[in-house]
Parts: sequence; C-alpha cells; structure tokens
Amino acid sequence: MDTHPVLFSAKGIVKQYPGTTALNEVELEVRPGEVVGLVGENGAGKSTLLKLIMGIEQPTSGAMTMRGDPYTPKTPIEANGMGVGMVFQEQSLIQNLTVGQNIFFGLEKPYLKYGFVDKRRMYEDARRILAEIGIKRIKPERRIRDLDFATRQMVEIAKVFSVVTRRSASGNLILLDEPTSVLNDDEVKNLFANMRRMTERGNSVIFVSHRLDEVLEISNRIYVFKDGRNAALLDEADADEAILYEKMVGKTASGEYYKVDRQAVPGDEVLLEATDLGMRGFFGGVNLKVRRGEVVGICGSIGSGKEDLCAVVCGDESYSSGKLVVNGKVRRFSSPRAALKAGVLSIPKERREEGIIAEASIHENIAMSNYKAFKRFGLVSTALEREHAKRHVAELSIKTPGITQSVGFLSGGNAQKVVFARILSSDADVLVLNHPTRGVDVGAKEEIYSLIRDITASGKGMILLGDTLDECIGLASRIIVMKDGLVTHELDAPAGAKPEQLEIVKYMV
Amino acid sequence: MDKHGYSSPIAEEFAQEMVRRNKVDRIVAMAPVGILLFLVALLSIVADGFFTGYNIQTILGQLSIPLVMSMGLTFVILLAGTDLSGEGLGGFVGSIVILMVLNTKTDLDMGLWAILIAVAAGLVVGIISGVIHVYGKMPSFIVTYAMSSIMAGFAVLSYRGQPAMSKYEFFITLSRGRFLGIPSLTWIALAIFAISYVLQERTRFGEYVFAIGDNERVAKNTGININRIKILVFAWSGLCIGVAGVLGAIRIGRGEVVIGKDTVFPAITAVVVGGTPLTGGRGGVVHSLVGALIVTIIYNGLILLGVSTYIQAAIQGVIIITAVALSVKRGRKVVTK
Repeated sequence: MDTHPVLFSAKGIVKQYPGTTALNEVELEVRPGEVVGLVGENGAGKSTLLKLIMGIEQPTSGAMTMRGDPYTPKTPIEANGMGVGMVFQEQSLIQNLTVGQNIFFGLEKPYLKYGFVDKRRMYEDARRILAEIGIKRIKPERRIRDLDFATRQMVEIAKVFSVVTRRSASGNLILLDEPTSVLNDDEVKNLFANMRRMTERGNSVIFVSHRLDEVLEISNRIYVFKDGRNAALLDEADADEAILYEKMVGKTASGEYYKVDRQAVPGDEVLLEATDLGMRGFFGGVNLKVRRGEVVGICGSIGSGKEDLCAVVCGDESYSSGKLVVNGKVRRFSSPRAALKAGVLSIPKERREEGIIAEASIHENIAMSNYKAFKRFGLVSTALEREHAKRHVAELSIKTPGITQSVGFLSGGNAQKVVFARILSSDADVLVLNHPTRGVDVGAKEEIYSLIRDITASGKGMILLGDTLDECIGLASRIIVMKDGLVTHELDAPAGAKPEQLEIVKYMV
Repeated sequence: MDKHGYSSPIAEEFAQEMVRRNKVDRIVAMAPVGILLFLVALLSIVADGFFTGYNIQTILGQLSIPLVMSMGLTFVILLAGTDLSGEGLGGFVGSIVILMVLNTKTDLDMGLWAILIAVAAGLVVGIISGVIHVYGKMPSFIVTYAMSSIMAGFAVLSYRGQPAMSKYEFFITLSRGRFLGIPSLTWIALAIFAISYVLQERTRFGEYVFAIGDNERVAKNTGININRIKILVFAWSGLCIGVAGVLGAIRIGRGEVVIGKDTVFPAITAVVVGGTPLTGGRGGVVHSLVGALIVTIIYNGLILLGVSTYIQAAIQGVIIITAVALSVKRGRKVVTK
C-alpha cells in the first residue's frame, strides 16, 4: 500500500509550443483518495497538462512526481505502468473489436493458449472488471460499434481502470477529460458512484469538465487555470459556481488593446440571417443577423455547437432545420466554394492545414480566393497577382524577404496577415473568422485587431469565434452565447458599454 | 428538462441520431448476403442451367482461386493497404511449382516439397514487399505493383520462355478429384478460409490488424509493434498468393506466368463487395467469402448468358466502383462529439 501523503505533484511546469506558451509555471498536487477538479476556459491549458501527465508530450521545464519519486513518462504506456491512466475526450476504443478485447487490448498475453487467445477466460475477467466498477449490463462479447456512446464511455473507464490497477489496487491516478458531455443524468450519477468507489480504495482522480455543478459535486479540491497559469485553488467547501466563474475569467484587457474606439456602428442592411437554424444532434434554434460593419461574436465552450454553427455558415456542413439567408437569398451551401460564391468567406482555425497553402508563394495565397480579378486574356496573370501582392505586403507590413516566398516559412503572425490579405482581396461580404489570433504573438495580434476594424469599416460583416472570451467581447459589437447546442443569451456590445466577462461566462458553463 | 435526463434537447437528438446510425450500419453490413441471395434467385430464373448440380460444382471450382487470394487481401485491406503483387507473384509461384515436381522440363521431382517451397517463395516475397512498404515509407499499392512486375519477369526466366507441363500424378488427381461433390481445390481454398478465420478471430494478430486499420494512433499508444504486424500481413498475403498460384498451376497443369493473370482484380472486388472498405478497420474474412461467392456467381452467370468477355470485364469494373462508392462514408460528420 502506498502511503505517501502526496500521490502526484507537478511543480513549475512550463510547456512551450512554437509561438505560444501553453503552460506557465503551473502547480498541481493530488493526494491519495481524492478527486481533484480542474476547470478553466478553452485554451487555459487543462488538456495540455493532462497530455504531459500521460506522457503524450513532455514539459519544456518543471518537475512531476508520483508517490514522491520523480515522474517523467515518455509514452502513455510508461504512464500506465506507473499507475496513471486517462479516459480521452475523443474515445480510444477499437470499434470492430468486442468490449472484452478492448479492455485487454495490448495485454492479451496472459490469455494465450498455444498461441491462441482464450476468449472465454478473457471475457470472464472482463465481466469481473465491469462488475467491479458497477456495470453488469454490458456483455463483454458485444462489439463496441454496436454500443451507444454512454456505454462506450463506461467501457473506456473500465479499460483504463483495469490497466492502471495492474500494478497495485490502490495509489493510482486516473484522468477524466470531459467525461460527462455525452452522458445523461443517470449515467452521470453512475459515473460519480464509480469514481467514489475508486477513490475509496486509495486511488485518485483528476476530473476536467466545463460543467461547474458537476465539478463542485464530485471534487474535493478544485484548481482553476487561466491562460496557462494557476488562477486559484479552492476547497470544495469554499467554492460555488459564482466564485469559479470569477476566477476563470481573470482580468480584462483594455479597450485600447482591441481598438474599441474604431469599432464600427452596424448599418441597417442585413447581410446574413439565420432563422431557427439547426443541425440535428449538434445545435438548434439559432437566430442571428449579421449587418454591414457588424462583428457578431459567438461565445461558448467546446461542444456548445458554436464550431458546428460556423461550419454550417461556411459550407462545411449542411443544416437540417431552419433557414439561412445570405444577401437576400435562401442558401444551403454544398461546399465552402459555394459559400464563397454567395459571398461568405471563412478563415479556418487550423491555419497551417486549412487557411494557407504552405508550399505556395505569398502572391498565390493572396490571389487564391478571387482569381477572376487577376485574369488577363482568360488566364491568370502572374504579373497582376504580384503587383497586387506587393501592395498588400507593404500595407499590412508582412515581414518577408519577397512575395515569392513560400508562406510555410513565415511566422504565425505574418502567415495570418497573408490570410487577411486574401480576405481583403476577395469580394465576399460576410467573413467567418474562427480563432483569428491563435498561435500569433502579441504584436501581430494588435495588427490583426486593427485589420478587423478596417475590414468592418469597409462595410463587411463578420462572425467571430474569439480565441479567448475577452477577445470576443473586445472585438464584437453583438454577442451570442451558446451552451449545449442552444443559444442561452445574446446582447449588444457597443464601444464604451462592453459587457463584463462574468456576465457572459455564466451562460456558457 | 426532458424525460431522458439529457442536459439539453440537442444532446438527446445526438444520442437518437447515433442509435439510428448504428441501426443503418447494421443493415448495410448484412447487404452483401442479400445481394448474394438475390443474384442466386435472379440467375436461377434468367440463366438456363444455372441452378443445376453440375453448374454449382463448376461455380465452386471457379471460387477456389479468388477465395484464396481474397483471404490474404482481406487482411491487407483491413489495414487500408492494397496488395497488387498477385498477377506476377501468382504466376511465378505457379511456374516454379511445376518445375519442381515431375515435369517435362526438369529432373527435380521433389513431390510435395515442391508445394512447400513454392508457397514459401510467395511468403518471402510478401515479407519483402511488407518491409519495403513499412521501412521505405512507400504506399503499398506501388510497392506491390512493382513487385508483381518483377516476379512476372522471374516467372518467365524460370522456364526460359517455354513453360513446363506437369506429369505429377498427385496434381492430376487433385485437379479432377471431388469430395462430397465439392472439387478438391475448393476444399483447399476452404481450408485457407478456415485458417484465416481463426487468425482473425482467435489470435492477437487478427485483433491488432483491426485495431491498426481502425485507429493506428490508439494501437501505437498501447505499445503494439505496428510495423511487425504490417509486415506479417503482407507475409500472409504473399502466402495466400502462393497457394493461389499452386492451385492455378494444378488447374491448368502447366507452369506459366499467365496463371496469375486476371486474379487480383476479382479478389479485390470480392473483398470490397463483401464489405471490407478500402479505408480498412471493418469487415473481415467472412465478408470476403460472401464477396468471393458474389463475384464468382456473376462471372459464371454472365458466361451462361453468353455475354462477351469484354463486356464481362467492363461489368467487373462497374461492380467495383459501385461497391467502393457505397462503402465510402460521405457527408455529415459522424462521431466527433
């Protein structure tokens, strides 16, 4: 039995990615037999910390310990061997294998008989493990693909539990990343009962969730992360939802930072209007209007449906109910290309994969959304393209040795400016900006904010998914808050009367 | 709040949608069996002499080579790869097996050892393809296609342009023999099917093949030696091609490169029509047995109906494109929540 007073600790953890610091001097401590809640906005660093604990990635600096000994896992397998396991948000079960095969996946050796897997014995053990965590109705012989989501999650938990307890029945650490997002009330109750059973035996759990009521119900202590730092550590007894909100949102940047003085006053003309728009199983009943010069900010956690709403407006997905009107015509886009033709241009979140052609030159990237403007005698004229690119490179002060430079070699901020040059060169009226400042340094951020003001001043409308809540409020003239696929709140955010983050976050979580 | 206790109506919709989609998936998975039964019924009506004892025996005979080939290919396609080496490699193995038994060209006369060596040659070539594919990081289709060409060359070289004729009694017995009305060669093919089934269902190897095809990252994070499994899959495919080559040689009684000709395409069609998509991870050898039956019955039916061989080839092309098109998951995202 492990009786060290601290099961797991992380001290001074720093994790840097090119261009950003995801975790900055983070501390976390887990005692034997407790549930530690971990909350924070998107991008606060929760998932990054879990990845480090699981050995999927390694910290840039800082130290972790497990039962008092240094803990530096290089792979998830190593972490498992030390009694650390994780239930992933995106599930890691093999669909075409059975429940039993999944529970013992990679650990079949003890069940081999003359080189063949003795499935009967394996299923017996699987049944025992499932029973141990209180699930009797799942048959180990069933294939994962035939199970519903909640059941799959239970299997995943059983699997992780059986993996970490191989070493010893107690003193293990289990990480749960947003495990309740697909569960209904009864299933959540069952999950919590299982978690308590695990902790009663001296195992500990780190519980990450954006549902604060659940975090409060199950956790002994709650860590709040904010922008990759520790923002607070609260005992369950001292915490309530209001306190957690307050700690999560942190301080607000100045209006000057977001160029609020240049925020355009929306015109009357409606460019895009969604009426009772829905995509079955993802979001529903969304009403929104984008007017000339308006920035509509959509706030919500992961899984709130805001990304899916964006995808529908951009033409990546199709809607299943309601109506989408762009420039006076009812539209149902079959592709982003169709959306662009109708006047909706989207700037995707994953810039390197979706927003730029890394191999292509700056001038080619800028011309991409509007080739017909650069045609001469029916062919694309490189000379026109280059001339145009030169002007933009100068205007946006893109730092590059020349316009024939491949965009892949530019820094995050400069690459994003090329993306904005492409927007400015297109004649689309409505822009969908999905995390326009992700992975961009502070200086370039301000330039991008300035560009956003220029673009709206020119009469274009915008739907914005901000990288942080603060950014979304700072830039938007109207804010829509989503939670669990529904709009929970909406309000105006005119220059000089910006809402508080706290006012919005309580509708998000 | 609603009666199911989901946190929002959207979450409940999502749950319902998943249930519906699972149901559709299960029906689609049974479709090949329906198609097979439909074809049998249809051809029994429109093609004279289809549903006769003699023709059923013929069909079973025609089934043997596509079935054996598709058993190896099933595992390759489960990994989302392809093995196109069958034409050349099958021809090579068929050529050398005749040269090693009692024949008109050499004095080797090695008897059953010849079969073992020939099949082992298929296995070794499969391993080589697998190693080049895995460690050379080259797509399997191009590696195996090149391998096919190389082995076709070696096949002709082995008999120096003039194919050897078999004089081996055992081969003649096999090619004509029947047991319970089923041709001997088909029994061999069924034995390969049985072994494949055991490999798929009862060994770690089979489990890992599904896992890698479904989600390579998970398999890797679990500590599975992915490269080893991939090479083993190509080894198994090479072995199956070897067996198919020997069966082909027994059938025509001659060791010639044409043994491999037109064997790969029907086998791939069988796998895909049976329900293993080219993207891997789903399906399996039972599906491929159904697929091989479908492919063989169509081929047999077209001959009975007197359709020209050129049109037969065209029909095969249409079948595989249709099957692949139906197996592609299109449109809205499925499981991203």
